[in-house]
Amino acid sequence: MSRYLLRRLGSAVITLWLLATIVFVVVSVLPSNVGRQILGPFAPQEQVDALNHRLGFDRPIIIQYLQSMRRVFTLNFGESYTSGAPVNDVIFPALWRSGKLALLAFIMTIPVSILAGIIAARRQDKLSDRAIVNLGLATSSIPEFVSAAVLLSIFCVHWKLGKAFANPPDGATIVQQLQYLWVPALAMAITYFGYLARMTRAGVISAQHSDYARTATMKGMSSSQVMRRHIMRNALAPTITVISVQIGYLFGGIIGVERVFNYSGLGSTMLIAVGKRDIPVLQGAVLLVGIIYMFSTLAADLLIAALNPRVRLEVSK
Amino acid sequence: MTITNPDNAVKAPASSALSVTDLEVVYNVRGIPREVLRGVSFHIAPGEAYGLVGESGCGKSTTAYAALRYLPRNGRIVGGTVSVDGQDVTAMSNERLREFRARDASMVYQDPALAMNPTLRVGRQLIESFTLLGQSKTDAEKSALDALRKVRIADPERVMDRFPFQLSGGMQQRVVIAMALACDPKLLVLDEPTTGLDATVEAEVLDLVRVLRQESDAAVLLIAHNLGIIRSLCDRVGVMYAGRIVEEGPSAEVFDSPQHPYTVGLLRALPRRGVRKTERALATIPGLLPLIGSPLPTCVFLDRCAIASELCHTTAPPLVAIGDGTGRFSRCHHVDRIGEIQETPVSVDIAMLNTSAKGADVLELTHVSKTFHQRNLAIPALVDVDLSLGEGETLGIVGESGSGKSTLAKTLLGIEAADEGGSVSLDGHFVAPLTTGRSADEKRSMQMIFQNPDSALNRSWTVRRILMRSVEKLTGIKGDEANTRVEALAAHLRLTPRHLDLKPRQLSGGLKQRVAIARAFAGDPRIVVCDEPTSALDVSVQAAILNLLADLQSEKKTSYVFISHDMGVVRYLADRIAVMYLGRIQELGPTDAVFNGPNHPYTEALLSAIPNVDGEERVRIRLDGEIPSPANPPSGCVFHPRCPRAMPGVCEVSEPPLREVEPGHLMRCHIPVEQLVEMQRTPTQG
Amino acid sequence: MSESDQIEGNPESMVSTPAVDVIIPATPPAGPSERRAARKENWRLIRRRPSFIVGNIIAIVWVTCAILGTRITPHDPLDFRAKPHLSPSSDFWFGTDKTGRDVLSRVMAGARDVLKIAPPAALLGVLFGVILGMLMGYIGKRVDIILSRIVEAFLALPVVLIALLAITTLGNSSWVVLGVVAVLFTPVVARTVRSAVLAERDLDYVTSARLRGESKMFIMFKEVLPNVSGPIVVELTVRIGYAVFAISTLSFLGAGPPPPSPDWGAQVSEGFNSISAGIWWTTFFPAAAIASLVIAVNLIADAVQSVLEAS
Repeated sequence: MSRYLLRRLGSAVITLWLLATIVFVVVSVLPSNVGRQILGPFAPQEQVDALNHRLGFDRPIIIQYLQSMRRVFTLNFGESYTSGAPVNDVIFPALWRSGKLALLAFIMTIPVSILAGIIAARRQDKLSDRAIVNLGLATSSIPEFVSAAVLLSIFCVHWKLGKAFANPPDGATIVQQLQYLWVPALAMAITYFGYLARMTRAGVISAQHSDYARTATMKGMSSSQVMRRHIMRNALAPTITVISVQIGYLFGGIIGVERVFNYSGLGSTMLIAVGKRDIPVLQGAVLLVGIIYMFSTLAADLLIAALNPRVRLEVSK
Repeated sequence: MTITNPDNAVKAPASSALSVTDLEVVYNVRGIPREVLRGVSFHIAPGEAYGLVGESGCGKSTTAYAALRYLPRNGRIVGGTVSVDGQDVTAMSNERLREFRARDASMVYQDPALAMNPTLRVGRQLIESFTLLGQSKTDAEKSALDALRKVRIADPERVMDRFPFQLSGGMQQRVVIAMALACDPKLLVLDEPTTGLDATVEAEVLDLVRVLRQESDAAVLLIAHNLGIIRSLCDRVGVMYAGRIVEEGPSAEVFDSPQHPYTVGLLRALPRRGVRKTERALATIPGLLPLIGSPLPTCVFLDRCAIASELCHTTAPPLVAIGDGTGRFSRCHHVDRIGEIQETPVSVDIAMLNTSAKGADVLELTHVSKTFHQRNLAIPALVDVDLSLGEGETLGIVGESGSGKSTLAKTLLGIEAADEGGSVSLDGHFVAPLTTGRSADEKRSMQMIFQNPDSALNRSWTVRRILMRSVEKLTGIKGDEANTRVEALAAHLRLTPRHLDLKPRQLSGGLKQRVAIARAFAGDPRIVVCDEPTSALDVSVQAAILNLLADLQSEKKTSYVFISHDMGVVRYLADRIAVMYLGRIQELGPTDAVFNGPNHPYTEALLSAIPNVDGEERVRIRLDGEIPSPANPPSGCVFHPRCPRAMPGVCEVSEPPLREVEPGHLMRCHIPVEQLVEMQRTPTQG
Repeated sequence: MSESDQIEGNPESMVSTPAVDVIIPATPPAGPSERRAARKENWRLIRRRPSFIVGNIIAIVWVTCAILGTRITPHDPLDFRAKPHLSPSSDFWFGTDKTGRDVLSRVMAGARDVLKIAPPAALLGVLFGVILGMLMGYIGKRVDIILSRIVEAFLALPVVLIALLAITTLGNSSWVVLGVVAVLFTPVVARTVRSAVLAERDLDYVTSARLRGESKMFIMFKEVLPNVSGPIVVELTVRIGYAVFAISTLSFLGAGPPPPSPDWGAQVSEGFNSISAGIWWTTFFPAAAIASLVIAVNLIADAVQSVLEAS
């Protein structure tokens, strides 16, 4: 087990290094003048040069790369170019807010979509199945910002059931926070519903066709007993993997939702950082997302191992 | 011969355990209903074992599944009845059906590894079978342990605690059988229960079924494509063809004197009674199996029958009782003319083949080993193999899983590189260990025919392109000339020009294998490695392929390395046989010597494990334990832990050399050959 | 999975699927036009699926708008000015925006912006992905390990953000957006192709090709590629949908064409701030346009997938 975790940790470090490198490559290879971008078009050239010098943009690329890597591996991303605040002070509170939103979205979507997937699989090719499949196809096709905008106009403007500005005031209770967050969370939940429901359906259908399900049926078990005792354990693995792999994607989608609801989470932070070329913030945020991705895939793999003894034995070796 | 002629000749005995009457099943394929069973009737008495045989698509599995009303979603029973122990299965409510499956009927199928839930412990799955019968948790646990003992599992507590994938194939199938017997069923259906298991394991499972039959009065319905299994296990047999039972009777009688043209063809297609390629060609049945659901208004076998008459075209033959009412039936108008069906004569060329005089060696392997490395584990898959192959000779290679026979093939072909120190030489010249290092001529000289033609042929290429590419690449001939050659090659393998423009999936299994053979012969190879070339094919198709291989060999003096698990096939085709176990050659000798003995104890056990369609019983040599993992071979003689004749103090200490016990006959055994002869004359175990 | 899946298989399928000893007859051999016939049959099955029909109707509407543009819009999408923020009425079906332009005309004209980039971007992404996936799957070993790592890193990346960064630096011309979206799709496609190739690599026809001395390139692109074309075609259709998805998200986030352009994402971006004031139509209609186009493409993809996977 510990060897397995060690191996996973090792590969996570490599992936993070690659992530950081990709960000660095995108930032430095693309032609841009950071000093000019920060100071604006009317600042005198000397000031721009001075800023570029202070930020190290006049140094050889390899030095810049090494410095950047040092920041990454010490988890000290330096200071924001724009506000001067330590990057960690900017990204962690933002992550906390986004985390709340994402968590709520998952809580809303996971039970519903898994249930829908199971219903569809059990009623394969019947009307309810076709309805769920097509609904799933439709919802997973709608970009998050689109559903966010539509939900905003329905729930927050028309029915006034939610808040158009999703930032809860300081010191809000959990219930109050929920009032602010449920509409944007719903926008995200809608997109994931399609993926998860379809994935669950496929997993359950293939498990239904398995020989061991046949054995169980031939033993004289009712179809709901077969489903509960034999199928679910085997059918959920692909769904779990999908949930974990969607994390990176989720933080892409969250940007649009946060923007529509003016929510100051990690998505908005990253969006602003891109606009302002605030590279330390950007780098920190991206790596943070990467780390979360690593942890969620690890958690998913461990969960699958818990469900599947064959994987478990492999892991504990 | 008295012939009675009422169509309801097969009457349901008052007390049958399973009674199938005029069963008709239809599968809906893309909205079109296709008839799979066209009126199947048979009855099994309590305690009786009934076998269903037939080639793929004949409907035997459908019959079995219909008996428990478990059909695929698009399958439907459209006529007839199935009753088990007097209860009409087709009319049951869902709840009643569930109860029926729990208490009265059970099923065991192929591939035990998949039949159990991989995520639950064996014990839990077995206990479940008993709690479903209403037992309490503690009682069920006790019953489960008893059930495992009943299927001769020595250490039931430990097995209960394992996961299915931690058990060997034989153990898995025992557990599945234990589950099936949990309710003491009135009907036990076995669908290819040993297909995919190794020969020695298969024999153990069959032994178990035989013993269990004596302990229970369940009626057994056995589906198997291996006729030997049916003969050795079943009291009566039904021969199915295109959704109908065409012949029925006591198994020994049906197999010894078949009374339907199809059964005759099927049995003559089998290499049996030790027949060799030089003695006679295998019979083939002309034509193809009918497509599922194709209209066959009269006799289902009409199109392929050698003795069909005008009557057969107009009237469906009734089921005719044969003999003195011993329960033999044939669905044929011309039972009295069965004797007219001709045997297939062997071609002169083959008969002239002189198998005893070995030609010059074309291939020689010296000290060839192959070790795979997995993580930090070295797995010796092939250990110090010395072999030679003469021109025009067939070397049969037999052995169970893990024996290294496929690795041997891959290593000599250069798909895998042999370990340092070993060498492969062709016509006296050393060749590079990997294909990529070999010259064009060397590549041309060594080709392969694979087990599964579906995997072996590129499914997006036409037959013409497949053959053309091989001709161009292997012979260097291009353009029109190559095309001419492709057409000649195809014609030689009895493929019509029309076949050339089809893709593999449009061809039947036998035709696909012909294409694969044509491809291997595109460059006139010296050596062709055949890796189980007929094991995916039906018996009648297998016969045609084996005949073809024999013809090609006699004509082109090609040498074959012929890998097979089917001893009958190897005996038919091979001139010499190598028996492999855990990567080592244990015995090597001329075919007759290997089949007549004296034998290495492993060969002896292997030969005794074959269920024989001719009913000649060999003394069963039982092997203890499992085939060890090649990664962790036993000390000394690798076979000693399972060897019934092992000599303590000798066999586990040192590995015996492969030595010559009689001219050309080699064995890797410490026991002196004289002693082996003595031992193998007197039966050891009962 | 459709009904027929259960009983499809080769004539030897007895051994692997004991439940059904039935084989679907291969289309009876009928001559050299056989291959075309098989392809025609697939095409016929695809066409008959309701999702394909519905998807196509919607898609055709948008393609027509994109091609004909201002020739069929009721008003000029850029220059026409009525009163600002008129709610939908019989004169202006979708209302007018804050500068008084006709939302319907702008939504119709906006189809062009997306449709001229999305399909080529998807095509390019699939092309890169196929090449990469082929190398990973067939060459394997170190190439696979390294490339798989990079692909994994991409999956952990909030890619929209990277795209945004690249576009804001390189400029938001159609070419840049096209290239960036293609690059973003490459790893995902590569992963799909890789697993399809891995399943092929161990088949005996590849061994046979090696035995007659074919080069790696030949085996990869002549032998294996045609056999993985099914998943590739599916991937291509799916990717077109996601390209629309990605492009509108990018333009919503500010990496789209500059203001007067009737781009859908940009329209949503312009409009959503006035939703709280009750002006929903400037956001809703372009948003619905995006959703309908992606859904349409995905419906088509779904139809293609279910037929190709069954055959």
